[in-house]
Amino acid sequence: MSAPAILLEARGLAAWRGARPVLHGVDLALRASEAVALVGPNAAGKSTLVRALAGLLRPAAGEVRLLDRRLDAWSRDAVARAIALVTSEEDGAPALAVRDRVALGRYPHRGPLRPYTDVDRAAVDRALRLAGIEGLAERTLGTLSAGERQLAALARGLAQEPQVLLLDEPAAHLDIGHELQLFRILDEIRAAGVAVLAVVHDLGRAALWAERMVLVFRGRIAKDGMPDEVLRSPAAAEAFGVRVRGHAVEGLAHPLYSFE
Amino acid sequence: MSPKRTLALLIAALPLALALAVAVGGVRLPLAGLLGLAPLEPAQATILWSVRLPRVLLAAVVGGGLAVVGATLQAVFRNPLADAGLLGVSSGAALGAVVAVNAGWAADVFLALPVAAFGGALLALLLVYLLAHVAGRPTLHGLLLTGIAVSALAGAALSMLLVATEEFRVKTVLFWLAGGLEGRSWPHLGLGTALVVAGSLLLWGLSRPLDLLSLGEDEAASLGLPVHGMRLVFFAAAALVAGAATAVAGSVPFVGLMAPHALRPWVGSPARRLLPAAFLAGAALVVVADLGARSLSARYELPLGSVTAFVGAPYFLLAIRRGERA
Repeated sequence: MSAPAILLEARGLAAWRGARPVLHGVDLALRASEAVALVGPNAAGKSTLVRALAGLLRPAAGEVRLLDRRLDAWSRDAVARAIALVTSEEDGAPALAVRDRVALGRYPHRGPLRPYTDVDRAAVDRALRLAGIEGLAERTLGTLSAGERQLAALARGLAQEPQVLLLDEPAAHLDIGHELQLFRILDEIRAAGVAVLAVVHDLGRAALWAERMVLVFRGRIAKDGMPDEVLRSPAAAEAFGVRVRGHAVEGLAHPLYSFE
Repeated sequence: MSPKRTLALLIAALPLALALAVAVGGVRLPLAGLLGLAPLEPAQATILWSVRLPRVLLAAVVGGGLAVVGATLQAVFRNPLADAGLLGVSSGAALGAVVAVNAGWAADVFLALPVAAFGGALLALLLVYLLAHVAGRPTLHGLLLTGIAVSALAGAALSMLLVATEEFRVKTVLFWLAGGLEGRSWPHLGLGTALVVAGSLLLWGLSRPLDLLSLGEDEAASLGLPVHGMRLVFFAAAALVAGAATAVAGSVPFVGLMAPHALRPWVGSPARRLLPAAFLAGAALVVVADLGARSLSARYELPLGSVTAFVGAPYFLLAIRRGERA
């Protein structure tokens, strides 16, 4: 069986944040149905990489390719139909109802003027259901907990019906129940063929969820492979400044990790 | 109360406010006559057609326009306290008005003052926009601070010009700065309405991009919105509307802050509902405020801007006390 097609790819990507160079020559390819955890210490360049992959940052060198075509050769709408970006929610518009917020995910499909159709309403309902927040649809964002707001942001990304879903610390404000729910949702849409790349801070959680782990350190990809292999690598020890040990536990399919 | 009911209530309230404001004044006009049920005396008809009606309609247009601008800028700046003052529009309009008075155009040429005020408003916005872009694409914060700086500059220039203005003309400026609709007639209404209605409709048509901007720059861009270009469109349309309203009515503070802020809990923040609701509420508010301005004191006509500020400032203190973040 040949590997699934490459959906999104960075080639020799360098990017700046303001006057500061952040990424230096990053190569990364995302394939359909992949679950990739992007890990690395603070200020390693993870958020910048995610934004550059979403087309929000102009590369200083190299390129990002969507379906083997340069990102800037696609229209903005086409990029937004293919790639959804969900960042960790701060305080958005507090008087906006959850359903209205999720419906904005249909913007790349309809633009500013064309009215929403049954297709759009069905996509919004599906996204709300998938995110498990149908019951919150009519509530305003200001009345939600941080975890519920994060799920509403995720539902907006799902309503986009993208081929690639990029998430920047999606679990940042979540309690353990919401966190498990979030990663279960990511597994579901991955099974539907979507490539999912998430910046994850909790290395144990990242290893459990992802089938591939990409370690970013000082603006470069320091290691790319199976989570276990990446976590035990000298590169991870150097990047985080800790020693990582895996412990096999009876009854668990995955090893547990400790950090010293 | 559902958003639909709130809108229905506003749609019903505005004609009532208009009718009340047309009927009440120095000369009372009989309601039956206004409704065409009984003939008006010739003097009453003259007052209705050449004084009362254009003034009341202009109050509605000015109030509606300012409220739409407030709702727009509050979404773009993601700040519930934003209004036209932030972009330098108000102070630019004031400076334009003082230039027209100082140079004597205002006394010689009909409509010279509103046209100069409008020009001043647009120039101020242009200056804010260009200065903010000197060091590349600005952040919201950068735009906001540039607007404050340009406003301060325009205010300083205004004071200098005022000192150099002949005394008998100073009163014209002061009256205009205080905001008011005394002596406005059909040409003012035509000028104001055309620009306010065109700009407001454009903003309403761009409701979805406006909602996207209110979610923040990254999210809007990731959904395919050309954030910087769209911001410029919103600023230009907002300055057009606010400039036109300020040009014909002078400074009428707090309407742009108050109307959208008060309505957001009722109709929510989607612009497709908030903008029309804010227009109706702002219109009714200024119509009633103008009625107060001309009937609260038996001896003077009070400045309209003072009336709205006397209502708006306590409203805001209360809103802050309640810790509202709508």
